[in-house]
Amino acid sequence: MGSGRVVRKITAFVLPLVLVLGLAPAFPQARPTLKMIWVGWPEAHIVPLVQAAAADASVEVDLERIPFGRLFETLDIRLGARTSTPDVYAVDGPMTASYAVRGHLLPLDDVFTADEKRDWLQACIDQGTFDRKLYSAPVVTSSQLLYYNKTLFQRAGIPFPPADVRQRWTWEQVVEAARKIARPSEGIWGIVLEQTDRPYQILPLAQSKGAAGISPDGLRASGYIDSPAFVEAMTFYQRLFTEWQVSPKGLFEIPQVTELFGTGKLAMLVGELWNLRFLEAYKGLSWGVAPHPYFQGGKVVTPTGSWHIGINPRTERRREAIAFVKAFVSSKENAMLFDLTRRTPCRRSVYRQKAGEFSLAPWRIVLYELANTAVPRPLTPGFREYENILQQALRDIQLGADVKRTLQAAAARIDRELAKYRQ
Amino acid sequence: MSLRRREALLPYLFIGPAVGGLLVFRVYPIVLALWQSLHTQTLDGLQRFAGPANYLAIVSDPQVWNAVRVTAVFNLIINPLQIALALGLALLVNRRVPAIGVFRTAYFLPMTVSLTITAIIWNLILNPQLGLANGVLVRLGLPPQPFLISERQALASIMALATWKGVGYWMVFLLAGLQQIPAAVFEAASLDGATPWRRFRDITLPLLRRVLAFVLVADLAINILMFVPVYLLTGGGPHGSTELLMFHAYRLAFVFLDWGRATALAVLIVAVLLMLTGVQLRLLRAEFEY
Amino acid sequence: MADTLAPHLPVAHPTVAGRRHRLRWSQVALYVALTLIALAMLTPLYWALLSAVRPQEVVFQHVRPVSWRTFVPQELTLQYFGEVLTRTRFPRALANSLFISLTTVVAGLVVNSLAGFGFAKFAFRGKGLLFVVVLLTFMMPFEAIVIPLYMLIRQLGWVDSYLALIVPAIPHGLSIFLFRQFFAEFPNDLLDAARIDGASWWRIYWRIVAPLSTPAFISAALMLFIMQWDAFFWPLVAANSAAHTVVQVEISRFVMQESTSWGRLFAATAMAIGVPMTLFFGLQRYYVQGMTATGLRA
Repeated sequence: MGSGRVVRKITAFVLPLVLVLGLAPAFPQARPTLKMIWVGWPEAHIVPLVQAAAADASVEVDLERIPFGRLFETLDIRLGARTSTPDVYAVDGPMTASYAVRGHLLPLDDVFTADEKRDWLQACIDQGTFDRKLYSAPVVTSSQLLYYNKTLFQRAGIPFPPADVRQRWTWEQVVEAARKIARPSEGIWGIVLEQTDRPYQILPLAQSKGAAGISPDGLRASGYIDSPAFVEAMTFYQRLFTEWQVSPKGLFEIPQVTELFGTGKLAMLVGELWNLRFLEAYKGLSWGVAPHPYFQGGKVVTPTGSWHIGINPRTERRREAIAFVKAFVSSKENAMLFDLTRRTPCRRSVYRQKAGEFSLAPWRIVLYELANTAVPRPLTPGFREYENILQQALRDIQLGADVKRTLQAAAARIDRELAKYRQ
Repeated sequence: MSLRRREALLPYLFIGPAVGGLLVFRVYPIVLALWQSLHTQTLDGLQRFAGPANYLAIVSDPQVWNAVRVTAVFNLIINPLQIALALGLALLVNRRVPAIGVFRTAYFLPMTVSLTITAIIWNLILNPQLGLANGVLVRLGLPPQPFLISERQALASIMALATWKGVGYWMVFLLAGLQQIPAAVFEAASLDGATPWRRFRDITLPLLRRVLAFVLVADLAINILMFVPVYLLTGGGPHGSTELLMFHAYRLAFVFLDWGRATALAVLIVAVLLMLTGVQLRLLRAEFEY
Repeated sequence: MADTLAPHLPVAHPTVAGRRHRLRWSQVALYVALTLIALAMLTPLYWALLSAVRPQEVVFQHVRPVSWRTFVPQELTLQYFGEVLTRTRFPRALANSLFISLTTVVAGLVVNSLAGFGFAKFAFRGKGLLFVVVLLTFMMPFEAIVIPLYMLIRQLGWVDSYLALIVPAIPHGLSIFLFRQFFAEFPNDLLDAARIDGASWWRIYWRIVAPLSTPAFISAALMLFIMQWDAFFWPLVAANSAAHTVVQVEISRFVMQESTSWGRLFAATAMAIGVPMTLFFGLQRYYVQGMTATGLRA
């Protein structure tokens, strides 16, 4: 047979294809096109939004979706090349400072009027602000609820946690109920905080005890994540896994947590609002919602923050980019976004507009949290470094490491990595 | 051009396209990476000469030394393991019995799954609560294992994952190598009355030397540069027990956004790899000189 | 039966010609061993791919404790295959990846085998150094050079094109190394004979060496194909437009921050695996025992 003949056959077939597809020039664009990078939301969620905003702003948009798992690395490479593209891109809220300090974001203070800015929830504006300037425009935010399994509660004879924000349960009450219900040997668990190793989820515990996540200048973690209050909160968190055994170790993926709760193996879940959608798939589940817990005698703190959009300062189509971004984060678009995706809007006008929908039980709690208890993640240009190191520490704590030493080591590492931002 | 001249140029014509391509698309970026390792990048994207500062930072970092230890343990175990298993499989499937193609394909199949999907699948299987592995163990009356969340088992789990995926791949090359050995050689040996082991050690192995060298060198490179399963499954934990060197380099580059240190570490890794490869090749040549 | 016991088998078990019942025993033992190993290796994959044909809600059921229901689905559905083929860009990705991989293989086999032969059979100035350079190119981790490479591709104007995905992958250090190892075994007597006859090296290579090195070419083809088929990070960085999307990037879209579409993920994975699997199955029978007739030793 001879490999030569096989090679020749394939070449004869493939070579023409190469010439046609590889060397054919790209079609020249009619109108100036904006290159947009967004995170990997399902096409059905993001494409209509982009099209509507593009139509409103009279621009063409070339949308590229990047899976969340690789978004930051890919953006680093594209932005690091310091070219004119992407023109607009998705900014994970707390990353605003990081991109701004590297010169990857166009200041937006002049783009929006004071009224427009006031329409945004305070926590959203805060997250898009760095060095007192607005660098990224809020698109969606997030909030969390305490989901509980009615069946497991009834079987244990425990009354449901109240939905009234003024009577919300404390963490101590949560643990008490969890210990009564949990039967680890049978695979029944008491409580899981959805993103079990992420600062987004776990910092509110420390903040409820009065600890801060980082220094006010955003450059030092020592003295903050290893403060007595922080250590106390994390020790509590560790006991969920080790001493009280109400939380299963090693659940580092959100779908696993959803599955655990959805199949009735978990009594309480502190998680994001997307569960309102996800839990519908579990037909046999009887569940309710209550507000996010807090420490007795401490502050009520809830997690918040999500996606913003930013403009590349090197863009060659600044006018079009600004017009598009304004349209993309307008009240009209935000309402459409909620209708399409059920993600949490950033604009007060949307909440007013859809007052009927938002007066239903879960949303009533959420609105209160967004207005009163939501605390955005620490503001620091070194957020990637901070989050990654703290996440590793939280994992190790969950798996049984010495809390104080782990946090001290993490703080030292964070400080060292954040040193490069002292300029 | 004279015949002599043409003859002298001939080797360069043979290697020209490939080596030329490598120079453009690999060597040039490598040189740039080397250059980067001697510089620090400011927040504005400017490069400031840093001399050996990045290398010193790497060498004085205790986290790096932990990674060196983990990487050493990882490679000392997984390289011989994979090669031995692959060789065993290659010997097993090197025969013209019916349906052998089905079995060869079956063993090759894990290689057709990308490393990312492999990690996802194994993450599901090894999950302490919801995973198949513990489901089977519990069914057999054995205690459930922590696997990826245990300091003792996490690295072993990653080794199992990588071995599962790679064994069929290396088997293919060794099979090709076995096929190159003329049948007459084996005929002569079996007529001599040599035992299967002697046949293997004194005849098969030496004749496999060059392909074996390839597999050893390639496998070592891939294993020393491995990081994706750690990135996806353990993040270097628990307690740094799966922190492979390349994972640390990846984190330096894409999380800590420190390209100077990341490329410096990469250069050091490559230097060690080249050295180990040189040692490997030399040992192999000495072993089988005849 | 006697056929299958041809003496080219490097067997571990005793081969006594003629005794039929002894033969059958060892045959059975062989197949048992082969099957057990196959089961051990394929069970994880089998269980995962079952999720491609099982309703998504059932994916994690019957796992703890394990039962026959874990491995035999109660309900079968082709819904996810349908969704992946009609509602996503996966078909386009399959076509793209196929095109990219095949092109890389064809060009790569030519270019790299020539280089491997050059290193194996010729002596020339700089050979040692150049060979070390070749080794170096596959020892440098890709992530360390991705940025310079991306800049280079930008300068060439190849961003978002097939050129970016194919051309840098064609010169392949590992392939050169592989070919060099195989060609080093090639008997010089054959080459000398051809040279005396007056054949040019080019002719010698294509007419004599290459046809007799089928296992090397197949192994290299598989290596190059799998490398391109598995490509994920580079296509994401250099050519992530809808027109150029590749298989692994499309599959990764099913894993989102807060949820994963298990059914679609594994349906797409099953289809993605099917291609190299078929390719390998078809090619592995061309692993022909080398040079049985010549009696020449390497």
